[in-house]
Amino acid sequence: MNDHLHSPDDLPAPALPPEMPMDASSQALAEALRSSFAIVKVLMVLLALLFLASGFFTVGPQERAILLRFGRPVGEGEKALLMPGLHWSLPYPIDESIKVSISGLQQVRSTVGWYPVTPEQELSGIEPPAGGPLNPIVDGYALTADANIIHTRAILTYRIKDPIRYVFSFVNASNAVQNALDNALLYAASRFKVDDILTRDIAGFRSAVRRHATQSAEMQDLGIVVETCTVDSVPPRQLKDAFANVLKAEVMRSKVLNEARSSENQVTNKASADAESLINLARSDRARRVSDVGAQAERFQEILPQYKDHPALFAQQRLTETLGRVLTNVQDKIFVADSADGKPKEMRLLLNREVPKPVTEEKKP
Amino acid sequence: MKRNPLTLIIALLLILIFGFLLFSFQVRTTEVAVVTTFGKPTRQITEPSLYFKWPWPIQKVWTFDRRVQNFEDRLTEGLTSDNFGLLTSVYVGWKVSNPTNFFPRFAGSANPISAAETLLDQWVGNAKTDVVGKHPLSDFVSTSDNGAAFLAIEKAILEGIRSQIRTNNLGLEVEFLGIKRLQLPETVSQSVFDRMTSERKVLADRFQYEGEAEAQRIRSDAERKAAELLANAESQATRIKGIGEAEAAKSLAVFQQNPELASFIFRLNALESSLKERSVLIFDQQTPPFDLFRGVSTNLLKK
Repeated sequence: MNDHLHSPDDLPAPALPPEMPMDASSQALAEALRSSFAIVKVLMVLLALLFLASGFFTVGPQERAILLRFGRPVGEGEKALLMPGLHWSLPYPIDESIKVSISGLQQVRSTVGWYPVTPEQELSGIEPPAGGPLNPIVDGYALTADANIIHTRAILTYRIKDPIRYVFSFVNASNAVQNALDNALLYAASRFKVDDILTRDIAGFRSAVRRHATQSAEMQDLGIVVETCTVDSVPPRQLKDAFANVLKAEVMRSKVLNEARSSENQVTNKASADAESLINLARSDRARRVSDVGAQAERFQEILPQYKDHPALFAQQRLTETLGRVLTNVQDKIFVADSADGKPKEMRLLLNREVPKPVTEEKKP
Repeated sequence: MKRNPLTLIIALLLILIFGFLLFSFQVRTTEVAVVTTFGKPTRQITEPSLYFKWPWPIQKVWTFDRRVQNFEDRLTEGLTSDNFGLLTSVYVGWKVSNPTNFFPRFAGSANPISAAETLLDQWVGNAKTDVVGKHPLSDFVSTSDNGAAFLAIEKAILEGIRSQIRTNNLGLEVEFLGIKRLQLPETVSQSVFDRMTSERKVLADRFQYEGEAEAQRIRSDAERKAAELLANAESQATRIKGIGEAEAAKSLAVFQQNPELASFIFRLNALESSLKERSVLIFDQQTPPFDLFRGVSTNLLKK
């Protein structure tokens, strides 16, 4: 300490001793005074340094900061945001840095239209058991355009376009966004029928929610841009079976219809195939007929001269020839000789010889 | 006594800083302020910046949060114009807009904002009851008007609150309002469930019958189409055959040269083809050529 006291910049201290030749006690007092002056000076330098250094601040990786100079934000729009890292501002009360955790995408979820679930149930995907009627205070739900009750919830992600507006104009801007989303969900639900929300027009419902939330955000000038919006809707747990039955009936209907359509295909395909073959048959018939008659005519032309030469003989020869061929082909030939007394004979014919085959076999010889 | 100039400068600087602090104040961008002179509001400040004032006790600065506050009212039940009980809750974005008017009423309370919200709650309640009673339930929920009625209701409630604010002139301003919850009394929800159940039943039945009827129609349609196809094909086949006959008939001219022979040959052919397969022929001794049997046998026997 003493060494430091006698450093060259100690001005008042050396001036004291020559003016007053003092006794030991006053000398000691002077000494003490001198040293305390020095301490005060060092402290003052330190304080000044500290004051300047107080302008340094760091912004964490998930944070941004905005600088206020005399209460007014410095910079505009997204440029006003100070990125993570070390920064220096003028010391208080000139500058003031406000840290905000608004990096990246923000998310709000609306659950005003959902039944109460504990976080554990939410995580495990179990829905709480259905009770009786819905208590309006506890159970959230939305009313649809056809005055049905439905549960619906939404998650909206958004980017902050105007951080100054977002941070400094609202006590809790994310709360305002969530309110806008709640409102959009109720509004959209009140304009859609229950079947549209649940099955027929899920995308339409979602875009209606998104559109209304975006509109509200713009009207309220929240300084955000909506990025995505997901909506999830279910029928009341109390009516789960009734809704499931409708779905089942719908599935059943399309199954029955598909079956009918496939059988329609089968029937018509078969019919057109049959028709095709019928026509083809007729075509081949026609061809055969024409060529048959043609061939016969040709043959007739050939034999006509022979016949003209010897008509009777030709006819006789033809007849015998044909009879010979016919008789060779005939399966059973039965010759009945005249009875000796010239009386007519009686013969019994068993027609329909196909069925009792053995009988015919017997008859054959 | 010799004075050090540096000490003097530092002392002066300190006095300046101290004085500056006494005579100045800042209003942040999130705040509005009222300056009172001996307790009477004399200046209001709505722009953020550095300002000067006389030190206490002459002048005093009161600052209030100027940011938009979110206020949500309780779920309260009202009757619609067609006598449905309807529970509604709205959210309101409001802020302190005129600190001079705001100050005398709320500066005394420990938390001016929540004190103001207590008042706001009454106004919102009044406005809601008023507006809900003027609209039928179908204005709240319906597909018909693309949401115009819903928006009109919100707007009417907002107007109701604004007019009460104007009458009271307390320096508040409502920026926006929206319906946050819209629900039915507990007993009504049960009857809605009953109605929904029967609606579901009707729907399920309809799907079933529709499906069956449609399937039936498809099947009978198919049958009809198939029959038509076959009938068409048959008539076409007959026509084709007919053409064949006509073409064949052209050859008949050849047979015309000797009809007797032609008829003989035709008969022979017919005989041959008719007895081609699986036939039984029974002859007696008169039928040629089996008359041979008789002649031969008798001749032989007589010899």
